[in-house]
Amino acid sequence: MESIPVLTIEDVADIDGILQDYIQKSESDLAVVVDKGGNVLSQFGDLEVIDVTIIGALAAGSFAATKELAKRIGEVEFNALFHQGNGTHMFMTSVDEDTIMITVFGSETTIGLVRFYSTGAAKALAKILNVFRTRTSPGFNFEEGDLGGGAVFHENP
Amino acid sequence: MSIINYARKEIQFKIVYYGPALCGKTTNLQYIHNRIDPGHRGDLVSLATAADRTLFFDFLPVNAVAIRGFSTKFQLYTVPGQVIYNATRQLVLRSVDGVVFVVDSQWEKMEENVDSFRNLLENLEKQNLSLDNIPYVVQYNKRDLPNVAPVSYLEFLFNNRRKRVQTFESAASAGTNVFATLNSVSQLLLHKFSRENQATGATTPAPR
Repeated sequence: MESIPVLTIEDVADIDGILQDYIQKSESDLAVVVDKGGNVLSQFGDLEVIDVTIIGALAAGSFAATKELAKRIGEVEFNALFHQGNGTHMFMTSVDEDTIMITVFGSETTIGLVRFYSTGAAKALAKILNVFRTRTSPGFNFEEGDLGGGAVFHENP
Repeated sequence: MSIINYARKEIQFKIVYYGPALCGKTTNLQYIHNRIDPGHRGDLVSLATAADRTLFFDFLPVNAVAIRGFSTKFQLYTVPGQVIYNATRQLVLRSVDGVVFVVDSQWEKMEENVDSFRNLLENLEKQNLSLDNIPYVVQYNKRDLPNVAPVSYLEFLFNNRRKRVQTFESAASAGTNVFATLNSVSQLLLHKFSRENQATGATTPAPR
């Protein structure tokens, strides 16, 4: 399955709409959609204390790391993973072959409720992500001159 | 593969530091983390064993120049160099945009370097990718040590493909040419990104 190269404003609004509805119904704190390469596609919810870029990279790694474990019991991969904390928990579910949805939630809800509503949200996401993948990309128009000739990164002394 | 997000006005790229065990991949990321403006980077995440060997990967998100109002976000990864962790290396290479191959310049590491370079080619091929179409540079690391192979020999081993690439003599522990390497591969992939988007005749949707 191909990665998604371009997300328009409308695409992100569509994804966020699904995530918002899911977060409200499941009473979760945060939902993040990442591809299995660790790239964040979209996020919704309380982002104050969490660096979603790092969450995305680690979640993709965590998902892939359990793939071999799944094979030992005759599965291709696990569809969902649950990490239980003392007060905050994380639930990860496979959206499609190339995408994962991560949910962070606290003690005001339960894993059962999160899992129940995640199924519908994942299906809705898979449907629209498939549309994004199969359409003609709107691309990004810029010229080499826009890059400037200087260093991309600067080293502090 | 780079992702353009119009809603957040950002473009994401992924650069992977590849090479044999203990060649200095993590040291590169540690130096970058220490010397880049804290406002332009996230935390350096290292999943390492007690002996500081990379078990899974190291990860450092950094922000760079803006292009037409879009911020560019680079995700820097290292792979675990130890031979047994090949499944992890395949995972980290997924949707890669640019590669830095780090060579340990010491004579006794030459076989490991060659094996790792071959392993990189194989793992890219499994994802239908090739060094022929991915921007990459080669870093000859540990040049500060006494028993290093001459650069001409390293060029023969690692930069002898149809497409010759930029190479850097470095000492990552002292920071020598660490930023030069990163800037070079970043420029290469930004220019490739620019060329590809022009080639497809892509148009930027009107901002809303």
